[in-house]
Amino acid sequence: MKKTSTLSIAVLLIAVFLFSFSLVSADGETTLVVGFDQDFPPYGYIGEDGEFTGYDLDLAAAVAEKLGLEVVYQPIAWDAKDMELDSGTIDLIWNGFTINGREDKYEWTEAYKDAGQIILVKSDSGIETFADLAGKVVAVQTDSAALEALESEDFAELTASFADLLVVEQYNAAFMDLEAGAVDAIALDIDVANYQIEGKEDSYKILDEWIQEEQYGVGFKLGNTELRDKVQAALEEIVADGTFAEISEEWFGYDSCVLSVCQSAGE
Amino acid sequence: MEIFSIRSARKTFDNSLDVLQDISISISRGEVVAIIGPSGSGKSTLLRCATLLETLDSGELYFSGERAAWNNENGETVYAGAQKLREIKSKFGLVFQNFNLFPHYSVLKNITDAPLSVQKREKDEVMRTARSLMDKMGLTEKADAYPFQLSGGQQQRVSIARALAMNPDILFFDEPTSALDPELTGEILRVIRALAAEHMTMVIVTHEIEFARNVADRIIFIADGVIVEEGPAEALVSNPQNERTRTFLNHFQR
Amino acid sequence: MRFSVMLSKLGEGMVTSVLIFTLTLLFSLPLGLIVALARMSKNGLLRSFTRIYISVMRGTPLMLQLLVVYFGPYYLLGIPLSSGYRFWAVIIAFSVNYAAYFAEIYRGGIESMPAGQYEAARVLGYSETQIFLKIILPQVIKRIIPSITNEVITLIKDTSLAFSIAVTEMFTVAKAIASSEKTMVSYAAAGVFYYVFNFIVAFVMETIEKKLNYYR
Repeated sequence: MKKTSTLSIAVLLIAVFLFSFSLVSADGETTLVVGFDQDFPPYGYIGEDGEFTGYDLDLAAAVAEKLGLEVVYQPIAWDAKDMELDSGTIDLIWNGFTINGREDKYEWTEAYKDAGQIILVKSDSGIETFADLAGKVVAVQTDSAALEALESEDFAELTASFADLLVVEQYNAAFMDLEAGAVDAIALDIDVANYQIEGKEDSYKILDEWIQEEQYGVGFKLGNTELRDKVQAALEEIVADGTFAEISEEWFGYDSCVLSVCQSAGE
Repeated sequence: MEIFSIRSARKTFDNSLDVLQDISISISRGEVVAIIGPSGSGKSTLLRCATLLETLDSGELYFSGERAAWNNENGETVYAGAQKLREIKSKFGLVFQNFNLFPHYSVLKNITDAPLSVQKREKDEVMRTARSLMDKMGLTEKADAYPFQLSGGQQQRVSIARALAMNPDILFFDEPTSALDPELTGEILRVIRALAAEHMTMVIVTHEIEFARNVADRIIFIADGVIVEEGPAEALVSNPQNERTRTFLNHFQR
Repeated sequence: MRFSVMLSKLGEGMVTSVLIFTLTLLFSLPLGLIVALARMSKNGLLRSFTRIYISVMRGTPLMLQLLVVYFGPYYLLGIPLSSGYRFWAVIIAFSVNYAAYFAEIYRGGIESMPAGQYEAARVLGYSETQIFLKIILPQVIKRIIPSITNEVITLIKDTSLAFSIAVTEMFTVAKAIASSEKTMVSYAAAGVFYYVFNFIVAFVMETIEKKLNYYR
């Protein structure tokens, strides 16, 4: 009895050691550790087959291949993203990561995609404009670009008109709230919204007025220009060989690239 | 032959009236001595000091001629080293008022554990000793029972057997009957008498005069931390010399 | 996503949750005892130190402690972190936190033991170590099992805090699947997993309690 329990504890400890060694460090030398929020489709999430997938993750994989690095997807708690990046446990953040308003906080690649923050409501809610949101409950994800915008001075008046600005942990909970009628609108990224209402386009609508138009980039720790430059170069390479366009078509049905190389190629 | 002695014992507490003021007692082999006295007289403290549960401020302790404690040049008690005290602890046993059996051990284990794990004696010999003690105490049927399944009298007999299993030279009893129903007192009385018949040396602290008179050869009456009177049991109870002894005895015999 | 894929993802998360749970208990139960003994020590310095330790551990959120244990080495000491440390940071933070709660439970149990048990054992010549291990501790364990069970059940639910430093345990997996699949099924499945886990733990604790019921 005693022997078997000692043995099982030993086996357990060995299993844990192996488990911890299977995790890798973010040294940027043999691996490219991509920090992302796994609750954020279509940029990064758990796919049909149970593996991580998404537009940004596919781009990251293509870039890592060009750099000869092994890509490692590290889901992170979004609140802790700055600590993760500073302490070197992830190499970069690639996750529908809005540059606007954060220009000085990270080293950025060029913007690779246009995006924006919008308001999503139920089609039958009767809400057509920002003015109709007065007295309504609006949900927004914690630490998100939409929240940052709504809390800025530009939107102080609009935000003040809401019955409540409900900050939620993740959008999925907000969608359940919206469906159940507990919130009247969600402020979020246009592509996330499009993904979420796919197949239910009749029940939801996106207001014509946008909160903010913005651009996505890949964010690095301040000072880490070396890796930033490498990733930037690799991005340009995958544009040149068509991989970028392929990934973009697959996820959004159009070539979403807004890198300067794409624009010059298009002209 | 002297089995135990305590000499010029002094003990005071910061917050208790229970004190010892220069008490000396010597116990010979085979003697049964009862210590009586009102509550707060110091008899309990005396027993706790004798069994090393409390330390003396001043005074000496001897067990079978071995020195357990003595005075330094300032007249303060110093104790023997840990190893020596451990040896000395197997020379005496103590039976508690509340039995203090180990509830998670069976009767047999309560009796055998200390001889095995403290004295490191042979398992066969310890088991034989335990069986014969249980037999003597009428506990044979209860070997595998746990303390909570026993009556108070049975528990007290187990605690006596537990003390005896250590093969002590002397056995101390702290109010052995006061946690028991009065009708069970006789049960313990019989056990102590049987032990006396085998020449077991015993010191019994009690406030039951009748019990003391029935069981003891000698009675020591203590009050306010001093020995007021001592003498043969029958003589001291029937014909006390000291006024305080008389008052105490009258108070109980009313 | 096929239901079987969802279950296997949740299963992976469950393995992490169970590992956190098991290792935390493995380390915090003995550590708690050491802390309890230090808390009752004759050494005043040791006593005040453990008192402060216990009050900090019980007075600050576990999530904050997780962040401090994981990011502390980098922000306070400048040591670069490796991702393999995540899991161990969770185990360290959980063990150190739960040890504080267990320490107070042990202390309560030890202090509730009647002095007579110590005295009986001392007169019989048991060494202080023997007294503690053979006489006191077994009885203390019986006394504190119900309180320990409470903490253990809380621990199962607390494992979901591990994601604050990006250790993906079961609840995090359930959330991620819910948002990518736009479905509540993963929550329901996770609920069942947790319930079964709790049920097993409660059953084990009850069995231990019953086994100790041979005496009173």
